Amino acid sequence: MALPLTYHWRNLFVRKTTTVLTVLVITSVVSVFAYMLGFSESLQHSLSVARDPHKLIVLKSGATAESNSAIPVDEYNKLSQVTNVARDEATGQVLVSPEMMVQVSLPRLRDGGRTNANVAVRGVTLDAFRIHPNIRPLGRIFSTAEREVIVGLAAAQQFAGLQIGDTINLGYGADRAYKVVGHFSADGGPMESEIWGYLPSLMNSYNRTMYSSANLRLADGSDARQIIGQIEGPAIQLAAQTEEEYWESQSRLMKVYLFVAYLLVAIMSLAAVFAIANTMFSVVAGRSRELAMLRTIGFSSAQILLGLVIEAVMLALVGGMLGCVACWAWLQAVGNTKDMFGATTFTTMAFKIQMTPLLIAKALGLVVVVGVIGALVPALRAARMQVVTALREP
Amino acid sequence: MTLTYVLMQNLRRNTLRVVLTAVAFALPMAVFVAAISFVVALAQISADMEKELRLGVHHKTTLTNPLPAGMRSKIEALDPDRRRIAAVCGMRWFGGRVPDTQNTLTSIAGDPDTFPLVYSDVGMTAQDIEAWQRDRRACVVGRNPVDTYGWKQGDRVTLVSTVPPYLQLEFNIVKIVENRERANFFWFRRDYLVESMKDAGVDDARCNIFWIKCKSAEGLRTLQQDIDALFANSPDETKSEDENAFVANFTQAMGNIPGLMQTMAMVVVVIVALVAGNAMMMSFRERTRELAVFKAIGFQSGRVFLIVLSESIMLAMGGALLGVVPAAVLLWLLPIRLTGIGPMIALEVTRLGVIGSMAIALCVGVVAGLWPAFQAMRLQTTDALRKVA
Amino acid sequence: MSTVDIELRKVRKVYFKDRLEIPVLEGLDLTIAAGEFVVLMGPSGSGKSTLLHLIGGLDSATGGSVRVGDAHLEKMSERERTAWRSRHVGFIFQMYHLVPVLTAAQNVELPLLLFSMSSSQRKERVRTALEVVGLSDRADHRPNQLSGGQEQRVAIARAIVTDPDVILADEPTGDLDAKTSEEILELLNLLNSEFGKTILMVTHDPRAASHGQRTVHLDKGVLDREELNPARPRGAAAMVS
Repeated sequence: MALPLTYHWRNLFVRKTTTVLTVLVITSVVSVFAYMLGFSESLQHSLSVARDPHKLIVLKSGATAESNSAIPVDEYNKLSQVTNVARDEATGQVLVSPEMMVQVSLPRLRDGGRTNANVAVRGVTLDAFRIHPNIRPLGRIFSTAEREVIVGLAAAQQFAGLQIGDTINLGYGADRAYKVVGHFSADGGPMESEIWGYLPSLMNSYNRTMYSSANLRLADGSDARQIIGQIEGPAIQLAAQTEEEYWESQSRLMKVYLFVAYLLVAIMSLAAVFAIANTMFSVVAGRSRELAMLRTIGFSSAQILLGLVIEAVMLALVGGMLGCVACWAWLQAVGNTKDMFGATTFTTMAFKIQMTPLLIAKALGLVVVVGVIGALVPALRAARMQVVTALREP
Repeated sequence: MTLTYVLMQNLRRNTLRVVLTAVAFALPMAVFVAAISFVVALAQISADMEKELRLGVHHKTTLTNPLPAGMRSKIEALDPDRRRIAAVCGMRWFGGRVPDTQNTLTSIAGDPDTFPLVYSDVGMTAQDIEAWQRDRRACVVGRNPVDTYGWKQGDRVTLVSTVPPYLQLEFNIVKIVENRERANFFWFRRDYLVESMKDAGVDDARCNIFWIKCKSAEGLRTLQQDIDALFANSPDETKSEDENAFVANFTQAMGNIPGLMQTMAMVVVVIVALVAGNAMMMSFRERTRELAVFKAIGFQSGRVFLIVLSESIMLAMGGALLGVVPAAVLLWLLPIRLTGIGPMIALEVTRLGVIGSMAIALCVGVVAGLWPAFQAMRLQTTDALRKVA
Repeated sequence: MSTVDIELRKVRKVYFKDRLEIPVLEGLDLTIAAGEFVVLMGPSGSGKSTLLHLIGGLDSATGGSVRVGDAHLEKMSERERTAWRSRHVGFIFQMYHLVPVLTAAQNVELPLLLFSMSSSQRKERVRTALEVVGLSDRADHRPNQLSGGQEQRVAIARAIVTDPDVILADEPTGDLDAKTSEEILELLNLLNSEFGKTILMVTHDPRAASHGQRTVHLDKGVLDREELNPARPRGAAAMVS
């Protein structure tokens, strides 16, 4: 029979100060970890949506992103020669979405408009909704006759003046009033941070004659590499990449950021291991007679070892749960919205840090690991303890 | 033997705990020194930029909407006798990268006549300025590309633009900039860019931003209003902001690394305070009787207080050194460069950061030792001795 | 020769525990002559240790007066008592209470750190004290390298290194075997007879008690009875007073 859990639980209250201080160390580490994990998960989630293997993004060669790409119309027209891509069932033409991307500087809601973000404005045709199947308009979409836009949910939540019924000044001179007529969801993908309007209207407002990008869908069973080869070949001479490749390169900057953050969290987690080890050594030292007594009445050293590890894990779990609560409270207080530039664009991608059950599970997983590692050496020492010597100790 | 010696010996009492505590203290302190160095460096940059009195004028809609080059003379005309304006430099984003690499440099074309004046903090000597004005292909380069690509002064280098019309241009390095906040910058002459674009069939001399070097902070504020008023209700409505405000927009968009670092630094202070406090509580509890003996043989309460407090301070300072020194050395050897758009600086340890870290460690040592020391001071000698056997 | 005598008059000591009054000493009178070796006996809880602590100035009496030589402890602040204690009293405990991380010599030196004394002067004093207790050859050992009896000798050296007038010993042989106990008691006797220290020793052990000149029995906070030890007549100094 193992020692009852209540035995370990109550022991945590014997050395209140030490327990509380150790728990708070874990709390601090876990709250930062949970935050960073939340950050990274939302980012990954957003990017995973933008990973449609059947979608190709065509840019002018030399451009690194839609925002710095410019495709003249005559070059765009050559895309109708591409084979093995999805076609319009009615007309038999290649299904391609010409798009133009510009930016508008909008105040961030999270700092009360103290700073502005560059929000992407995408001019599209109605074909875009067929090329980007995960765009789901909530309510109606822009009309092709009026100056109207629809706004992605993330953008609507994070930047000022994007509610339905608001008007937003777009155009090269910011002198064309566009009405927000609807919102749309993109399953949480990066496009949810954008504002969409009718391409000819926006091109006119921005004095543009060139498209930024063209999007195509692969025909069933066709090979992306082969089609990219056609587009980059001598006949067309544009650059193409799958959506996944595009976002992979756009998120480079965010990955550096996450690397730095995780490095710091890793160092702090290691510190938590030492804090737990310290506490457990003190527990073992303070209870050596009691542990020896348990051995004399027949508990095996393995049970003692397990018991101490359980005690440390309990300690860590309490800290872990408090850490998740602290992180949640922080997000409530400070706001859970965040936006970041792509690696080479001036456009921002907005996302929300969410405390999902999975994230909490991962954070608690980390503390269990920290607890076990921290307890192992002190527990081993306790298990190896000479019973007779320990009993005789003052 | 001195009291200090006794204190030092005390740290040897429970070597295991001292080591565990020191390491648990050192690791977060390593994070702290990097974080605080970063925060301090940014604060310095911010203060420096404020002193530079630069006002940026860009299109109200977004930076990517270019403004006509002729705006420069309109801005200059606002202050004909040059009481507020020192110089105006029109700048155009080039977004160049070294062929076959990924990293876009903060490469910008600036007016050749005024660039050295507006960016006087770059530290161009008369000789540098002469070279810049003589050579159409002159460029002034920050530390990052220089170190990454092994460039040196006088080298001829090639960049490919990532913005239309995606020009590939050659430049001659006339000056390497040592300013940390300009590490990712690459400046060159705008007349060279405009001509090269014309050669490529694009006649576009517009600028993304005009940077104005002002003569006083007050002049900067009034100019800011005057300029925006001047272009209001035109197709090229402007937004003027000082350099700090301009940079803040980018800092937010780059994930707010300074904010992250500040939060990290605060959390770390909490962690180390808890770790040190815990160790001192454990140490005190173990030694209650011994401290009672100190009192019994005639040590005053105040002295006992100091003994416990000094031990805590020594532990904290020792732990801090253990973390700060390797972090400083490591980041010095392998700096983590945070590159991107705008003045991002490397994660490296500065002297002020080290001093700040040690000061924090001292405070933490005092705070952590205060309660045990207070308890030791108030220790009822008779009670503590009675616990015997 | 010590000229310090001890005089307790109507000493009361009451402890409070959870607002409950627990009387320990109730109007105790006791006089110890200068240079006398007095043994204090009594059952657990009779107030022996409390009495010792009061005389050593570790604690203050609730009522009555405690005079040690010229010092009227009941009129002194804790600070004053502490300063006085460092010069005039040497404590010896049952559990020795040596600092484990310091060597024997360093443990002995500890109280001297409170004196303005040069390092060489301190060394000389430590050397002498260790010589008196017969541990000169163990000066550089740490407590865990010493036997119980040796540890207690170091503790005694620590108690006498400041050349105090009074030595207060709380069960100094309680943790030692019979033979070692005998050696420690002989040492205390020596300090009494050769160096004239006034000694008050608490013990449970009747054999230990036989080393004193007088045995005082304490019970329930009052003096129960006392007996003189004919085998150990009082020293010359005591006779004079």
